Amino acid sequence: MPSFYEVGNRSRGILSWIFSTDHKRIGLLYLFSILTFFAIGVLLGFLMRLELIAPGPTIMRPQTYNAIFTLHGVFMIFLFVIPGIPSIFGNFFLPIQIGARDVAFPKINLLSWWIFMTGAFLAILSLFTGGGPVDTGWTFYVPYSLRTPVNVPLAVFAVFILGISSILTGINFVTTTHQLRAPGMTWFRLPLFVWAIYATAWVQVLVTPVVGITLLLTLTERLAGVGIFDPAKGGDPLLYQHLFWIYSHPAVYIMILPAMGVISEIIPVFARRTIFGYKAILFSSLAIASVGSFVWGHHMFVSGQSDLASILFSLLTFLVAVPSGVKVFNWVSTLYKGSIEVAPPLLFALTFIFLFSIGGLTGLFQGALATDVHLHDTYWVVGHFHYTIFGGTGFALFGALHYWFPKMFGRMYHKKIPYLAWAFLFVGFNTLYFPMLILGWKGMPRRYYDYLPQFHSLQLLSTIGSWILIAGLILLFANLVHSLFKGEKVGDNPWHGSTLEWQIPSPPPKENFEKIPHVERGPYEFR
Amino acid sequence: MRTYILVWLMLVALTGVAVSVAGMDWGRWSMASALVIAFFKSGLILNYFMHLKDEKGSSLFKWIIPGVLSILILFIGLTFLDVAFR
Amino acid sequence: MKNPQNDTGSKMGMWLFLLSEILLFGGLFILYSVYRFNNPQAFHLAAEALDRPLGTLNTLILLTSSLTMALSISFLKKGGPRRSLLFLSATLFLGLLFLFNKYLEWTWKVHHGIYPDAPRLLEREKGEVLFYGLYYSMTGLHGLHVLAGVLLLSVMFIFILRGNIHRNHFVPLENTGLYWHLVDIIWVFLFPLFYLIT
Repeated sequence: MPSFYEVGNRSRGILSWIFSTDHKRIGLLYLFSILTFFAIGVLLGFLMRLELIAPGPTIMRPQTYNAIFTLHGVFMIFLFVIPGIPSIFGNFFLPIQIGARDVAFPKINLLSWWIFMTGAFLAILSLFTGGGPVDTGWTFYVPYSLRTPVNVPLAVFAVFILGISSILTGINFVTTTHQLRAPGMTWFRLPLFVWAIYATAWVQVLVTPVVGITLLLTLTERLAGVGIFDPAKGGDPLLYQHLFWIYSHPAVYIMILPAMGVISEIIPVFARRTIFGYKAILFSSLAIASVGSFVWGHHMFVSGQSDLASILFSLLTFLVAVPSGVKVFNWVSTLYKGSIEVAPPLLFALTFIFLFSIGGLTGLFQGALATDVHLHDTYWVVGHFHYTIFGGTGFALFGALHYWFPKMFGRMYHKKIPYLAWAFLFVGFNTLYFPMLILGWKGMPRRYYDYLPQFHSLQLLSTIGSWILIAGLILLFANLVHSLFKGEKVGDNPWHGSTLEWQIPSPPPKENFEKIPHVERGPYEFR
Repeated sequence: MRTYILVWLMLVALTGVAVSVAGMDWGRWSMASALVIAFFKSGLILNYFMHLKDEKGSSLFKWIIPGVLSILILFIGLTFLDVAFR
Repeated sequence: MKNPQNDTGSKMGMWLFLLSEILLFGGLFILYSVYRFNNPQAFHLAAEALDRPLGTLNTLILLTSSLTMALSISFLKKGGPRRSLLFLSATLFLGLLFLFNKYLEWTWKVHHGIYPDAPRLLEREKGEVLFYGLYYSMTGLHGLHVLAGVLLLSVMFIFILRGNIHRNHFVPLENTGLYWHLVDIIWVFLFPLFYLIT
């Protein structure tokens, strides 16, 4: 059967891609656009680290630095990690894993890519128009965002547009999972990746609108001076923070849940064992998605919110650690007595567990009321979330790329190079971010252009780490890009996986299945 | 068709009740009564005009409205934990 | 299980979209409840100045438009495109009437110097500024939704006229109806929260 690369739609060339409603083509569109934004984000981060290599002005002015850390956040969060795994791998594999020919609303799926690109375009446009690049940090906190002369209106509008795209994707995935499962594909036979995407999709549908309205109000505030968040007119800026974090905290679960889903796919395949505690992992995904939506106040412990609220939010925050822990224990138990093959995908998955555990445990320090007073707004926080989001979601995405690459492109990458790239990434990552934890503990505030001389050696170390990390990234992606064209052709099931995507040709044919399969067993039953 | 018109008549009558209650001064109860009436009206619209009660295709339809309401109540409740005790 | 173009699926998608709409307004309801809790007197005072009869009239208009919408769908299902079109145009007309009233109401307010950032409004108590900030944001967003609904209804009108939507393929009209009813429900809450404060 010809693959989906050979069978397009009526258009030709690039048009057969950007107007395709095939979920696999849309997944690849997301892959290439999102990785481009990731490259921009990395470049911005590299420039920041270069500036911080020594105290005082080094390569840029303070205002430029403020713009760059804001952009680094906006690009990485809204254009890379939030859409990342759901939009790329969710689009490509969710329909195949449940035995469907496409998502429930293919046209809306294409529309949401277009909306995504429009949002990205507006975000980039906001750099060169109005008052210039935004300098508020990615959180756009009022009242500063109401006063600063830079182009806040266009930037928040861009993020609003990106939110619409995220909601539409979520609607698509929830409906697809409910409606298009193949016969015999019961809820408890769904691969855990599907469960993770499903739980994430609910979070996307339910909380993204809240940040949408918050950003719209910030916009009308800027354009018409309505005064809802403006303390000068009686507004309460803390309410901005409440509404912002009602979305943006669950957003970190939008980032991490799909990553956990990827890990739950990779580990059983390379340990040749059924996953330990399928239901425990599944319900922990749902628990993270639901409890995680009610912990937003832990971003506001030192904002002046009531002590009662802080105490309750702290308690709820510790509760979320429980399902996260459940997952980690189940993954490790799956490995126990397995016949483990440390192929590149598993290497990244194991690194995920290690780095994410550091990220999760350092998070507990901030969830505790007393220690947070000391740690709030320091480099500790920066270190913590890079361990969870980059060490977690980022490494899971690399794992997913290496796991599904042969299926998506029908070719295998050079298998030795990922180990070398991994070594660079692992050493670079820890050299870059571990000093941040120490710096924060010692009191270095985040988002500062300059620092005291006693922080110099750790800042320097961190900058050196960024170079090693980038070397690793270049090696990793160079290998993949090279293999895209020159890689060895590969069979349908190189990893001997047992989920449905491995039962069809690589790359998959246009409508995935010649005949919709009848599912008779769970996702991780190896023969 | 008769159901539709009956429901519409009830909606109009409830609006009348809400407006006249607001005319009397019930103090703290006036807000509560206005909201109860609003919930009742939306229940009518949801179940009869939007046919939520006849939607049998998936159990999801049974849960969405209670679900979204409890989420909103939790959002408002947790926000008030700050605002009311600041 | 089923083919991609099934009715339950489309309606499920629509309901999910409506959920996200509810939470979009939900953010505003959170703000409203906090500000009203903090400024009960000012909200009472400011609400006195709103035109209650006009608000009531608009409520009745939207409720009636929900009825005509439901009737339009039920006639289309029974195979009466003409009656369906008749009630659809009634819905359209009522939607436009609602917007017209809203326009009148806003112009009167602006005329009296009560609009966001107006010097005369800013002289008043903070709570009243907030009340009008919320009033303009919430009724404005709702008005935009009515406008979108009117456009959607017009598209449906053309589709029925051309025969693209008919008794065997009516889900787009049903989904438009769901959207229209939701916009009505939002108003059912906005009305007491702004016009009926005592």
